[in-house]
Amino acid sequence: MNQFLDMVLIGISAASIYSLMAISMVLVWRSTRVVNFAQAGMALLSAYIGYELVARVGNFWIALPLAMILGAAFSAFIEFVLMRTLQKHSSQGAIAAIAPIIATLGLLGLIRATIGFIWGHADVQIEPPLSKVGFTFGDTTIVMSPMGLFVVLFVIALMIIVSIVFQKTNIGLALRASAHAPEIAQLAGIRVSGIRTLGWAIAGAAGAAAGILQTVNGTGALSPESLEFSLLLVFGFIAAVIGGLESLPGAVLGALILGLVLAAVQIYISGALVFIVAFLLLLLVLILRPQGFLGSKAGRRA
Amino acid sequence: MLKKHPIITFIFFGFILFLISNRLDELRVYQGATVAVYAIGIASLILLIGYSGQVSLGHGAFLAIGGFAAALARIHFDAPIWLTFVVAVLAAAIGGALLGLAAARLSGPYLAGTTLALAIGLPSIANQFSIFGGEQGISFDIGLPPASLGEDFTQYKWFFWISWTVALITLYWLRNILNSRYGRGWRAVRSNDVAAELAGIHVGRNKVLAFTISAGLAGLAGALLAMTISLASPGVFPLALSFSLATGAVLSGVTTLGGIMIGSVTLVAIPEIALAIANRYGSETITTNLPGLLVSALLILTVLFVPNGPVEQMHAKRAKRGHSSHSPVEISVRVGSKTWSTKK
Repeated sequence: MNQFLDMVLIGISAASIYSLMAISMVLVWRSTRVVNFAQAGMALLSAYIGYELVARVGNFWIALPLAMILGAAFSAFIEFVLMRTLQKHSSQGAIAAIAPIIATLGLLGLIRATIGFIWGHADVQIEPPLSKVGFTFGDTTIVMSPMGLFVVLFVIALMIIVSIVFQKTNIGLALRASAHAPEIAQLAGIRVSGIRTLGWAIAGAAGAAAGILQTVNGTGALSPESLEFSLLLVFGFIAAVIGGLESLPGAVLGALILGLVLAAVQIYISGALVFIVAFLLLLLVLILRPQGFLGSKAGRRA
Repeated sequence: MLKKHPIITFIFFGFILFLISNRLDELRVYQGATVAVYAIGIASLILLIGYSGQVSLGHGAFLAIGGFAAALARIHFDAPIWLTFVVAVLAAAIGGALLGLAAARLSGPYLAGTTLALAIGLPSIANQFSIFGGEQGISFDIGLPPASLGEDFTQYKWFFWISWTVALITLYWLRNILNSRYGRGWRAVRSNDVAAELAGIHVGRNKVLAFTISAGLAGLAGALLAMTISLASPGVFPLALSFSLATGAVLSGVTTLGGIMIGSVTLVAIPEIALAIANRYGSETITTNLPGLLVSALLILTVLFVPNGPVEQMHAKRAKRGHSSHSPVEISVRVGSKTWSTKK
């Protein structure tokens, strides 16, 4: 029973961070039909910015939202400069289908090298603002710590804000409309290109939050070649694909499934198998249900 | 004559390389061998991306399979050199066929993500099994060059000879297969799979075949890479290797084998250039970060401004000026009032 509780708690903690990553990939995919493989790099950069802010401001609670705003600005900048130029120049030939993928790959390398230039290759540390010792009830200690609880609650709060924005506001309507049918949205008077940039900006903020929370909830260490962030990218992608790559609730559901499955593997079988299982899960979903569990059939056109 | 008998070009190129290799110092000979390795790796990606229209961001994984398979064959069965290469090709091709079966159903970003996941995860998987030697890896020693080549024939020169012989044979074979009905089939599938299918081309089978051959070639490159370093370990095949190969393929231009030297020489030259710059300014941060920065910047600039590669760009320019260029394959099918065509 205790093991099962541990599994659920570990799974939910992990899933909350995966879901942020998955949401940022889904938002980018919906707005520009690009899977942003530089998302991990952008999250890493935001985490470094967060580290710098914590060092300068001295307060994690101010640094976190600031880093998210900067992450959003950077992401919007990338869309504005890189993706728009890309659409203008390489829209034909054999390369057209893969040019965005390759471009985000180049961006990833560029970000890593830049981080190396600025902060060097040695690990830097962000001190967790809350205790990472699990809560104690009587004489049993559970795996959920104040830090972990904050991560889960913070992510849930972000989800609620995002869904209110998407469902209740005009901007959200514009975001949904231009993802669904760009031409018609344009005819209806929505400035689709601006909305695209906005989609990237929200994705950047979500990615920044994912990067910082992953760091403080994990080892606290950051390095440009961080395997943790590469895995974060992969798990975010897998979660997004399970959910259908199109839908935001799908991304959250995918993250929950992935988080719980991986936690179960980690606790009941072996931590060494986590990646293999994740990869097999990805293949299984892609082969059996390529449109994902919440995606529509027409969703997978790219 | 050269157009008619391309094999003469290849032999001539090989002869020039032979002459060059006698005049260079050890380091340059070693780098020359690396160029050959990259050439094969990039060729495997060009076949996959430019011809069959599938993307792999994780080809380093197949290089790793090839490198480890060759090393294992050498250690456990004391296989002769040529046999280790055959084993490498077969092992990677089997891996490629398995992934290719899944890949044929995937498109664009899905395939890219899956292969990327593989490349990120494979080193950590390799660490789990003691047969692969963990972080240290396993040695891959092909032995000293034959005594008949003379006393001052160095180990690196021997690597250079092997790599380039293998590379030239491979590229010649690949050039032929890309010009055969298989190559035409791949291009047709890439341009318009509906039209290709209506013309009687089995789309799925074609894609799996392309993936298998591409993975096999990557495995060969991996075995050669492990040979030049005398080691197969997770560190020899990092994620950066996959990215480098993708960069090399884009720099060379993915639609033709003609530019392959551009990509492979650039990949070897960039760390060298970065080192020269770093020495000038005497800074360690520059040495470690500049290569990555240059490669990525080049990659982005190429995708933005010369998306189809320099060779294709030249062809396009010449075609504009009125010279006849090579004509692309075109298949069009009419059913009722609807026409599918591979020509865009």
